[in-house]
Amino acid sequence: MSEQALVQIRNLSKTIGNKRIIKNLNLDLYKGQITGFLGPNGAGKTTTIRMMVGLMKPTEGDVIIDGQSVTNHFEDSIEKVGVIVENPELYKYMSGYKNLLHFSRMHKGIPKKRIDEVVQQVGMKNRINEKVGSYSLGMRQRLGLAQALLHNPKFLILDEPTNGLDPAGIREFRLYLQKIARENGVAVFVSSHLLSEIELLCDRIAIIQNGELIDIKNVKELQLSRFLFKVEPLAEAEEILAGIGFPVSRHDDGLIVETEAEHVPGAVKILVNANISIFAVQPFKATLEDQFLEMTGGGDIAQAHTK
Amino acid sequence: MLKLIQNEWMKLWSRKSSWIMLILLVLILFGTAAITKWVNTAMPVENPETWQQVETNEMLYNQSMLENPELDQVQRDYFEGEIAISEHRLENDLPPYEYTSMQQGVIESHFMISIVTLFTVIVAGGIVAAEFSQGTIKMLLTRPVKRWKILTSKYLAAMIYAVLLTIVLFISTAMAGLIFFGIGEGTFLTWNGSEVAEGSFWLEGLKMLALSFAGVWIIGTFAFMLGTVFRSSSLAIGLSIFLMFTGIQLVFLLADYEIVKYYLFTHTDLTQYYTGFLPVEGITMTMSVIVLMVYFVIFMAVSYLTFGKRDVTA
Repeated sequence: MSEQALVQIRNLSKTIGNKRIIKNLNLDLYKGQITGFLGPNGAGKTTTIRMMVGLMKPTEGDVIIDGQSVTNHFEDSIEKVGVIVENPELYKYMSGYKNLLHFSRMHKGIPKKRIDEVVQQVGMKNRINEKVGSYSLGMRQRLGLAQALLHNPKFLILDEPTNGLDPAGIREFRLYLQKIARENGVAVFVSSHLLSEIELLCDRIAIIQNGELIDIKNVKELQLSRFLFKVEPLAEAEEILAGIGFPVSRHDDGLIVETEAEHVPGAVKILVNANISIFAVQPFKATLEDQFLEMTGGGDIAQAHTK
Repeated sequence: MLKLIQNEWMKLWSRKSSWIMLILLVLILFGTAAITKWVNTAMPVENPETWQQVETNEMLYNQSMLENPELDQVQRDYFEGEIAISEHRLENDLPPYEYTSMQQGVIESHFMISIVTLFTVIVAGGIVAAEFSQGTIKMLLTRPVKRWKILTSKYLAAMIYAVLLTIVLFISTAMAGLIFFGIGEGTFLTWNGSEVAEGSFWLEGLKMLALSFAGVWIIGTFAFMLGTVFRSSSLAIGLSIFLMFTGIQLVFLLADYEIVKYYLFTHTDLTQYYTGFLPVEGITMTMSVIVLMVYFVIFMAVSYLTFGKRDVTA
């Protein structure tokens, strides 16, 4: 991508005690793009996000948001960021509206009209004057999103945002994020454990393990065209397919063939002619989960960093 | 900054406890006045002394106090003033306000200031700590507002609440006095060092209340610091209240040592310079004010440093 990154994470490191929790993290985030942030528990996702929003101070390195450093120009940089860190903890003893009013006062120039607008957007209009204590988790998530969007941020950071949403809520949330990324050019950074969710939501995925960024991938790249052949006898079929130049690998009780769809009928014909029994041929999509587990070596939970 | 204080003020009044404390304060004041009234009507003193007799006795007592050669200058001035006032009253037939009168209640309204201190400690100790325990601190600190500004707005909101309670204390005392005792006969006299003059009981009441507010302010600041450092409102409130009661006892234990002059609780009650009772020798109003300011600066510095630097992991 040739355009200037909206958010630049530069050599970000965090040491607590004598343990390096985050090691030299570098990552660029771009306008209109949704980047997922994946990693096993304790890999440093939350710590990274907290340093990006100024809740924790980096030991080394910096986060630059739209040209302003979070460390040196906190107010100017954070003005552009909307944040949901884990479960949105709101003031339970106040109404949803008062919560939004409270946060709107902490930004420059948010008119009351904007609050109503955001309330409308997240579909909370009917219950906004009730106390947050009476809300369900899903409603709190919506209100959490509303407070993050109040000031029209250029950059949205979400830590485990779909926690507690029902499937319909998750879907709605996903479509909404994709819409604001596409239409308003907002850069979105989402950390999650829900791998399938990240796969549907994100354009790009950054994977962190033990405080190090181990891979950045475009989601499209991950979805190569592959087919699963369920055939018998397996060894003979593998020999034939490999013999005519298909990249073949075994998967459970079938074969995975990397190829374009147009070559499939030809391959089937050859197998039939060789008296191989074919039970099924189907497109095979390795889930992100498989790849994630592959990359992080079985998803071992990294050593907890707190004592 | 005004908007931040407005926020803190809104949160403060959205909690039931702030209202309960305010109402409780009013109830306690009216209750005390009602009980006093009831005791006086149910059990009237037999053969009550005339005000002249009371005044004469007081004058004799004050004169005997003056004979003590080790008396502090502050106390000497006080007793001399009291004697001059008593003489003036007896000569000119000017009785003081009756014990049960609205006016006397106003003059003595600062007697109840410890309730205000208690409630202020509860608010000041919890105002930062509660954000941590509810987890809302994450939402609060990820705004384009520097941390010191947030902390300042919280401190000011707690102090405004303290001032409000003090004003409510004053007004409620006057109202309860009016309802239960009515306006009494008498005059209030002051001594300016050379002559006796008539003074306003309102001003006297306000002056004493303002002086005792110093204690509310510094103990409230202490609770605020504890709440900020330990992020636990119960610890901050508990420890502050504990010190509020034991701290003053320690003044008497330490009274013979030099260190007592730099000890916070020797100076928390500034009305001591106007009541003739000084727990420690050789302290002056100026010294008390300076000591309180030094403690204030330390408490605030500790609060700002810990709050500004802390990594939020809650």
